[in-house]
Amino acid sequence: MYNEFMITVRLSQKKKELELPGPRRVMDLLADAGVRPTTVIVTQGKKLLTKDHRVEDGATIDVTSVVSGG
Amino acid sequence: MKCKRCRRAEAAVELPSHHAAFCPDCFFIFFRRQVTEGIRKLRLLAPEDRVLVCVSGGKDSLVLWDVLMDEGYETDGLHIDLGIDGYSDRSKGKVLAYAASRGKTPIVVELAKEGIPIPEAARCVRMQECSICGTVKRYFFNRIAAEGKFTVVATGHNLDDETARLLGNLLHWQRGHLVRQHPSLPEEEGGLVRKVKPLWRVSEMETAAYGFLKGIDYVTEECPLSFDATSLVYKEALSRIEDRMPGTRIVFYQGFLDPSNPLRNGPWAAPAADAAPMPGDAPVVDTMRATEVDAGKNGGAPQACASCGAPTYAETCSFCRLKERVRKARSLRAAKVSR
Repeated sequence: MYNEFMITVRLSQKKKELELPGPRRVMDLLADAGVRPTTVIVTQGKKLLTKDHRVEDGATIDVTSVVSGG
Repeated sequence: MKCKRCRRAEAAVELPSHHAAFCPDCFFIFFRRQVTEGIRKLRLLAPEDRVLVCVSGGKDSLVLWDVLMDEGYETDGLHIDLGIDGYSDRSKGKVLAYAASRGKTPIVVELAKEGIPIPEAARCVRMQECSICGTVKRYFFNRIAAEGKFTVVATGHNLDDETARLLGNLLHWQRGHLVRQHPSLPEEEGGLVRKVKPLWRVSEMETAAYGFLKGIDYVTEECPLSFDATSLVYKEALSRIEDRMPGTRIVFYQGFLDPSNPLRNGPWAAPAADAAPMPGDAPVVDTMRATEVDAGKNGGAPQACASCGAPTYAETCSFCRLKERVRKARSLRAAKVSR
């Protein structure tokens, strides 16, 4: 559900969605989500975000793992 | 953060290993330069090559195909449908959609139709899925390339893949595998087509960023059968080192590839009797070359497989032996059920 006072962090591969308070930097959001920054790309719509990008309240970001196995 | 190249646009990709950050346009230039430099340095491809690009539907292989087409190489895509419920259909869908967007029709091999879908084959012969998958894929990569008169097979292995494989081979002192590990495996007598890995200089993060920024719709889910692949353990270890010491991965791999490295030349390079995979290591081994070539290391040229005609040093190739084991296991199971 949309929450204008929180940031929605979607972890697609883990099929998990978190609501975290903002505004905060991407690297801080990842730390709270327990994700190592160098193993993922973080996107907002069609934009790729750097780890120091500040995400505002009400935003939704997608975290996609880049690690392929096998 | 501003782009370190144009110094105007906002950066979208940070690369600590290069002390750089790029906006999308400058990153495209950087990424393509990394790939073309990797091709040039090791002479992986020539302008007249006909390249068979193996595309799984994941980021690396689709990005590789995209870059090679943009660089003007003559390419066709080959997709192996592994016969894994749901996952294979979704992967194939991504390949077909991408190919259509570039006006291409990929060659598709369906393992279910070939009588050897990976999950069932693994159950039948009680082997690791990744091990069987490697054998089967390499067989078809080579066969389709030879039949289609392609001069080279290209796969999307990146720097993370290659360093994980290198670490695994070093930890187990796999001399035979170390000698053969290289982004370019030459053509061999008897019909083994040349194989190259043009993405050897770029990381997984870089290919993911390139794919996203170029709008390439790749499959992001992992193969459900590879969740416990040993290569993931090596990747995580290297990734933690890279976090603390950016640039370590490329130094590690470039140092290994240095022609003066004694691991590649000198007494070490003699074929060793330790080329058999360690438990759990199957995914990081080029089985077709390893098993077939090792079988013939006592001399003699490869011959045609008695069953399918593929190059082999044994009477029948590893793929046909595997297929026969699956067939026998199926017959045995059917006989038990009918009793």
